[in-house]
Amino acid sequence: MSRALSWLLGGRTPLATHLLLAPASFWLLFLLVIPALGLIVLSFATNGPYGTIVWEFGFHNYARAFDPKYLPVLLRTFAFAAATTVLCLLIGYPVAYYLSFRAGRWRNIMLVGLMVPFWSSCLVAYYSWMIVLGKEGLINANLIRFGFLSEPIGFLYTPFAILLGLVYFYLPFAVLPLYASLDKVPRSVVEAAYDLGAGRWTAFRKVTLPLSLPGVVAACLLTFIPCLGDFLTVEILGGPRYYLLGNLISNQFMMAQDWPFGSALTSLLLAGLVGGLWLYQRWEKA
Amino acid sequence: MKKSRGMGLYCAGVFGFLYLPLAVMFVFSFNDARRNVVWKGFTLKWYSALFQNTDMMAAMLTSVELALSAAAIAAVIGMLASYAMVKHKPFRGRSAYDALLSVPLMMPEVALGVGILTFLVRAGYELDFFALACSHALICLPYTIAAVRARLISLQESSLEDAAMDLGATEWQAFVKVTLPLARPAIISGALLSFTVSFQDFVTSFFVAGIGIVTMPIKIYSMIKFGVSPEINALSVCLLLATFTLIALNAAFAVRPDEASRH
Repeated sequence: MSRALSWLLGGRTPLATHLLLAPASFWLLFLLVIPALGLIVLSFATNGPYGTIVWEFGFHNYARAFDPKYLPVLLRTFAFAAATTVLCLLIGYPVAYYLSFRAGRWRNIMLVGLMVPFWSSCLVAYYSWMIVLGKEGLINANLIRFGFLSEPIGFLYTPFAILLGLVYFYLPFAVLPLYASLDKVPRSVVEAAYDLGAGRWTAFRKVTLPLSLPGVVAACLLTFIPCLGDFLTVEILGGPRYYLLGNLISNQFMMAQDWPFGSALTSLLLAGLVGGLWLYQRWEKA
Repeated sequence: MKKSRGMGLYCAGVFGFLYLPLAVMFVFSFNDARRNVVWKGFTLKWYSALFQNTDMMAAMLTSVELALSAAAIAAVIGMLASYAMVKHKPFRGRSAYDALLSVPLMMPEVALGVGILTFLVRAGYELDFFALACSHALICLPYTIAAVRARLISLQESSLEDAAMDLGATEWQAFVKVTLPLARPAIISGALLSFTVSFQDFVTSFFVAGIGIVTMPIKIYSMIKFGVSPEINALSVCLLLATFTLIALNAAFAVRPDEASRH
């Protein structure tokens, strides 16, 4: 028994390695690879009556995704994801910079502080934003009480609320990779720039910023791609008028029972994921 | 350092933004009013209502069981896989496999959820607790692997296992007596993160949980959607406190890079 285990751990043959990896491979195969391939196959099938699936293959589900009824959803998803990414970068970069260069002894506390909202349920946070933003919510109630407003403003169920929710949720996703790459910038190189007569701003623009670019790209990827598939934000803060791709997909599976169309939409989302990763790899090699 | 103070204020502002909803939730869970926004006085009645509500307590229990199962599965799978990736000779297609292991982290959860749902339903599998726990284990896996692998790599550098084997230990003995005890903090830290991920996961559960499996996030969601009652604040605060505790525990267990070389 113990000899067999030693053989397994020793890994002198590829077989032992693959046996150790077998559980992980099994999980990846049955819960990731096969489901993804299954969705792609299903996306070419046809929806029958009562949510049954007819195995007649064609591109009609994809054509439908791009027809005028659904195209705005795709465009809106793209626009929200892009806006969220840009805002997260703009808001997050100074935070990451401060963490890495200026925070000193506060750094560890701040890092843990960033992790808490990152790990907290976004459901809870969004619900709380409802309390803050609602017509009878904290902001409106106080503005009215102190006489700044006579009528409540409908913050909720607007693009503003959706963007706020998305930026709120994805901000830590942007800050952490930015911090990781800023932390790798050699301090001596920045010092050298100062010694050679560069001002703060020039040193930042010519040295620190270019060296932190890998983090910027990683942060873009980590906010943009999950954002494309975001589902809960609009479900709670947005409402049906502003459905995004994730909501459309969910509806096809949970309500409309049109699985082939839902699969086609999901395949488009996966194409976005693969495209993003591909661009990233190409950028990394260049 | 004038500039630094301005940036410090800015960071405080961003942190304020991040913590505002959590603080609001916490404060209003003690508010003695049915409608949420006006402060009527301090009360614990929503907490006592919560603990008397069998539905909600059942949801909490389901979530704990689910998170424990997912974390345990992910810890075992992740430990084995990390060991093979770090200690064994690189095999063909290793970098591709490596990339695949981190896909669950990147993949939008909606795609993951509907994929698993479609696969299980088409395969004729009745959606049950086990299927949900396995799906959660998949999203937890990248966290366990990241934690354990980093630890194993730093242990590799200290070559303590090699020393044990030079002194006559078999691979199995070296693993049980040296590697496993030294990797334990990382395994625990990975398991705590997994527990957190699974405990507050909504999207995957929303798609993969069959009828009758109600986790805490699903319960909160349906309460938000179909009639808000103030107990939901108390329930949310419980969820938040669980997260706080887990993150604090994780910070206590997490191995600092400089610590590994001290052994």
